[in-house]
Amino acid sequence: MNNLILEVNDVAVAFGGVKAVNGATMSVEVGSVTSVIGPNGAGKTTLFNLISGATKPDSGTILFQGFEIQKLLPHKIAGRGIVRTFQGAKVIKRLSVIDNLMLGAQNNPGDNLINFFNPRARNAFEKQARERAMALLKQVGIERFANDYAGILSGGQRKLLDLARALMAEPVMLLLDEPFAGVNPTLVEKLLEVLHDLRTEHHLTFLLVEHDLETVMNISDRVVVMAEGRVIADGLPNSIYENQAVVDAYLGTRKLKS
Amino acid sequence: MTAILQPGFWVFILTMSGIYGIFTLGLQVQYGVGGILNFGHVGMMALSSYTMAILVIAHGFNFWVAAASGVAVAALGGAFLGLTTLRLRGDYFSIVSIAFSEIVRYVIFNSDGLTGGAQGSLAIMPIGDAYPSYTDTWDTILYWIRDHLTPILGEIADRDMAMGILVWITFGILLFIVSRVERTSWARVLRATREDDDVPSALGKNVFRFRLQAVIIGSIIGGIAGIYWALQVSLLSPDDFLTIVTFYAWMILILSGATKVKGLAIAAIFFGFLYGGTRFFTFWPFSFFDASQRSYMRIMIIGIVLIVLMIRRPQGIFGKREEMVLE
Repeated sequence: MNNLILEVNDVAVAFGGVKAVNGATMSVEVGSVTSVIGPNGAGKTTLFNLISGATKPDSGTILFQGFEIQKLLPHKIAGRGIVRTFQGAKVIKRLSVIDNLMLGAQNNPGDNLINFFNPRARNAFEKQARERAMALLKQVGIERFANDYAGILSGGQRKLLDLARALMAEPVMLLLDEPFAGVNPTLVEKLLEVLHDLRTEHHLTFLLVEHDLETVMNISDRVVVMAEGRVIADGLPNSIYENQAVVDAYLGTRKLKS
Repeated sequence: MTAILQPGFWVFILTMSGIYGIFTLGLQVQYGVGGILNFGHVGMMALSSYTMAILVIAHGFNFWVAAASGVAVAALGGAFLGLTTLRLRGDYFSIVSIAFSEIVRYVIFNSDGLTGGAQGSLAIMPIGDAYPSYTDTWDTILYWIRDHLTPILGEIADRDMAMGILVWITFGILLFIVSRVERTSWARVLRATREDDDVPSALGKNVFRFRLQAVIIGSIIGGIAGIYWALQVSLLSPDDFLTIVTFYAWMILILSGATKVKGLAIAAIFFGFLYGGTRFFTFWPFSFFDASQRSYMRIMIIGIVLIVLMIRRPQGIFGKREEMVLE
């Protein structure tokens, strides 16, 4: 049990009358790829927002590396090593592609105004970070846009930028919100390739949210299925297909008149 | 027509432009970089100038200590405004910021014992005392500069010219510092927060801290403008700090193009010329209007310029068009 990096215990949150997440419990093992799937409105993205701190739970606990993080602000959680990407990819349109990546650099002395008077430290960090950012851009294959505004990128390129920017922050665990949604097959290949490299070379832990099982089948070690705010199944990818609750959630059940 | 040819007129225009330029530079940090719509900027100017005047006149402070305290109070005003209301987003913050500057003005207006109330800084000390002035130290410097300019420039050199020179030196230094600050990664994070909160916070940046710092820095710069304003008008009145002053600064900012500092000086001079110059427009076709009509005309001209600019060059004179069209 002690190789769990993330433990979500009985977490619940309601928006008005809607119980978006209603007592979800799940965990992620160190170095694994865990996928959260479920139909629309199952609470996947809300669960994601709870883990990354964008939403605060009404009850329950979330432990990352043994520390409770459910009350921390998003930037504190990011500082602990949980970095996320966004559904549909968010880029800062009026910053250049390279500057988008530079945002991800952690502990940048230049972020602190006091260091305005310490240009040597600022410039040294900046130079190093810029080299790393260029390397990441090469890795995801969008280095030719480095100095263009991120706003000119296509949807797929924005996804790659979002991923590269998250990597720039040197995460311990990467949360990917629907990384394959609306992406053409070639780009899916590219993304999978990048994820595979990261996994083997950097021993990152991944938590993915996806819409359907097919996409994540081959890359996941574990699959967590959500429906109506609860975790209804949790296991190896293959076992999920045979789970009756999952079939019901996706296909619906016949309601018998009582 | 003749007034326009007088050097004194141009010195006046340039001095006012410089003070407005410094004032606008504070907004530039807040809006041009951080996207913070502050409509209460004039409140910082009021805080610093009145603090300085009260400390010098009523408490006999050294001018420099008083001026520094004035700027510090403006910074505190910015911190207060930021801490209490910066969690509001966009337009909500703007509304509260107007309220802030109006509260400052009304408090000044109604605190007779402290600020002189409606009578302005003239009434800070009880009547009977010596003429209450806070400009003595500054005047010594101005006359010293004038005395050194006279051998070079001759008769033209005067106190006002010395003032103009000091204002523009300050503006130049501040422009340089701010343009440097805007190249740091601090400014990069702030630029990101202009578009989106989620991305920077997901990358470990405390968005609130960056915004608060931007408001405080802008307030410090606004406070410096307040000190110069006080020295230029030599008698403060609550009416110097009407909300319209903030909007003058917004006009300059939009004229220059909010995202870049480099156009600020030229936009400020352009504004200063319209602001101070229209009353001297006694030639045709302006000769059809009388003096008070002409003074209203400046607002109309500025309005027309802004409308034309919004249609033809929405990014301002020196802004980047590409930034405006990104989806």
